[in-house]
Amino acid sequence: MMKSPVRCLLPLLPLAALLLLVIAPVLRLAWEGWSGAPAHDLARWQPWRMWQDDYLRWRVLWSLAQAAITCVSALLLGLPVAWVLARFEFRGRQGVLRLLMLPFVVPTLVAAMGVLALWGPRGLLGAWLGIDLQDTPWLLLYGNLFFNLCLVVRAGVDALGQVSAQRVAAARTLGATPWRAFWRVEWPVIVPWLASSLCLVFLYCFSGFGLALVLGGQRYATIEVEIYTLVAYELKLAEASVLALWMLLLTGGVALAYAALEKRLASPARMDPVGRKRPQGAAQWLALAAALAVLLFFCAAPLLAIVWKAAQASAPAWAQLLDDEALAALWNTLRFSTLALVAATVLGLLHALAARQSVAWRAAAFLPFVVSPVTVAFGLLLLYPQWTASLLLLVAAYALLAFPFVAKSVAAGLDSLPPHLSHAARTLGASPWRTFWRVTLPLVRPALRRGMAFAAATALGEFAVTLFLSRPEWTTLTTLIYQRLGRPGAANLEAALVLACVLMVLALLAFMLIEWPVRDPRIDTARPDSKNLRVAKGADFHHA
Amino acid sequence: MLELKHISKKYQSRMLADDLSLAIAAGETVALLGPSGSGKSTLLKIIAGLETPDAGSVWMDGQDISPLPPERRGFALMFQDFALFPHLSVLDNVAFGLVEQRVPKALARARALAMLTLFGLADQARQKVWTLSGGEQQRVALARALITGPRALLLDEPFSALDAELRSKLQQEFRERISSAGMATLLVTHDEAEARAMAGRGVRLVDGRLQPVW
Repeated sequence: MMKSPVRCLLPLLPLAALLLLVIAPVLRLAWEGWSGAPAHDLARWQPWRMWQDDYLRWRVLWSLAQAAITCVSALLLGLPVAWVLARFEFRGRQGVLRLLMLPFVVPTLVAAMGVLALWGPRGLLGAWLGIDLQDTPWLLLYGNLFFNLCLVVRAGVDALGQVSAQRVAAARTLGATPWRAFWRVEWPVIVPWLASSLCLVFLYCFSGFGLALVLGGQRYATIEVEIYTLVAYELKLAEASVLALWMLLLTGGVALAYAALEKRLASPARMDPVGRKRPQGAAQWLALAAALAVLLFFCAAPLLAIVWKAAQASAPAWAQLLDDEALAALWNTLRFSTLALVAATVLGLLHALAARQSVAWRAAAFLPFVVSPVTVAFGLLLLYPQWTASLLLLVAAYALLAFPFVAKSVAAGLDSLPPHLSHAARTLGASPWRTFWRVTLPLVRPALRRGMAFAAATALGEFAVTLFLSRPEWTTLTTLIYQRLGRPGAANLEAALVLACVLMVLALLAFMLIEWPVRDPRIDTARPDSKNLRVAKGADFHHA
Repeated sequence: MLELKHISKKYQSRMLADDLSLAIAAGETVALLGPSGSGKSTLLKIIAGLETPDAGSVWMDGQDISPLPPERRGFALMFQDFALFPHLSVLDNVAFGLVEQRVPKALARARALAMLTLFGLADQARQKVWTLSGGEQQRVALARALITGPRALLLDEPFSALDAELRSKLQQEFRERISSAGMATLLVTHDEAEARAMAGRGVRLVDGRLQPVW
């Protein structure tokens, strides 16, 4: 088809956003790292100095270790759960699969509050079992699993759906036991899917900020928290820049591995998946119960604990919702998120339309995922110091973090549209714009809605960027929760829990938007296929 | 009259069309035969304006229409998979082209309903297209193609998705409807029997060149 000038101009807006809000800030960070150190102390800006400093080395190694431990735990717990969900048919199975989406839209701070409500001081399970997990690594690891177990389980369920029933049957008739058939036929199929999801788990945990800030304490905070501390409290910008660049290098490496795996997975879905059957015998029912118990313990318990603790909160804790401070935070959260959502939708749509023609463009949508929100915010702070308290920059940063969800979702939707439809519209007299309006847009609307819902959830729960770029009067729900947590006393903890509950309700609304069933079979993009799973997997990044 | 003049098109290193010329008179149906991958569909897209030739031009009634975009050529293209719009009803699918010609929506729908009545599909007008059988979808696609009174009709393997019995029935019905509409028609197919049943003249595309078959 002939290229119109408009189509050539489409990528300019998202390109400008990526250049001004990601690439330029990262380059500015690099410059700060190399040139910002005092001249009398040249050793300070040497990039490898981090590895010679015991304290910083511990931070980096712990960041790597907690990410690796989470990956292994998520795999060991998630694979059996995924197998049970993929192979057994039981009442409520679809509901369980839908609920697996929940952690994708829960803001980091809400998750952190959930962990505290369960295991923190006077936490439900902590108090009941007489265990105090404060100042141990377990709080952070549990929080990591809350987010990432669902990711691995969803990837596992989808991967097991790719296994050919005929190949398993062939293996069994050739003498393989069920276990040997799993090991020799199913495992090789699902390995790339699992590896891809574990890359994301690693990336999220390694570059995680909110969870580590609240749950890591002094000793078990991660490198992202260290960058924030260096910038916000110690004003050591050069040192923070070097750390941020190391982060970028390490996360970039893992992201490349992820991209390579994703390319391998871009094969057509298998048409003869292994059928599900009802559990038979005590052992299979026990396996099902154990799988559901694992999900309940790791993925649902923190959210239930928030609701329970908030319900038990005193009247003043609830009355604070009518305070000027809380109302202002709610208003700020809603207006920043709405503005960001509008900008993210425009950017995402334009990016997706441009990405139809270019693989490089498609990969560019991944950029804001690879560069952590802390790095983006810090880079923006350095690059545009005069605008750090401007609403435009704050909303632009929100939009930058949110638009890849729209771009990825719409791109997947566009991929699944038969090209003949737009060709037919053109030959029936529709101009390119009318074809987009009357044919393409209605058909990708479910994908757009899904992407927008993820973008909305990202904006609602945004924490790191707000902490860096916000003015005191622009407190959002997340930063207000963090402020309340920083104040001493049980009343403040209760107040934070109630606020977390409100934020969770907002996130749930976004969740319902995502998972609202679309029963219309005309829309291919509404099906929970592998492309949408990958969008969902990408959604995990917003928790960083 | 629809004319292709010295059309050339290369895909990677293969010549799909090599200085190819063809003329189809109004009311004439020409079948374009050739194996899969020979470039038949590409040629159809070039005529429709969906692809640009490397060289050559497309003429209609003595006018060079090569610079015109697809929506201004006044042709109708029917696809192998029908390309019906799944988000629209049967009625709105048929009315689509009229709406694009700025015909008021109510009038467009009335005319579409009249067309559907002619095709025996009035009862299904309000249904979504994906609820129809293959044969019904095929008829809707033809009704949609014919309703705007196109100057030329381009058919890309229109019967390949149907079973043998339905195919033979629809071939006869289509031949009658197309001949009564009286436009230049180019039928792309790899099935010679179908081509002979539908078209008065047949040409084969071999190595980018056209060879007369009958």
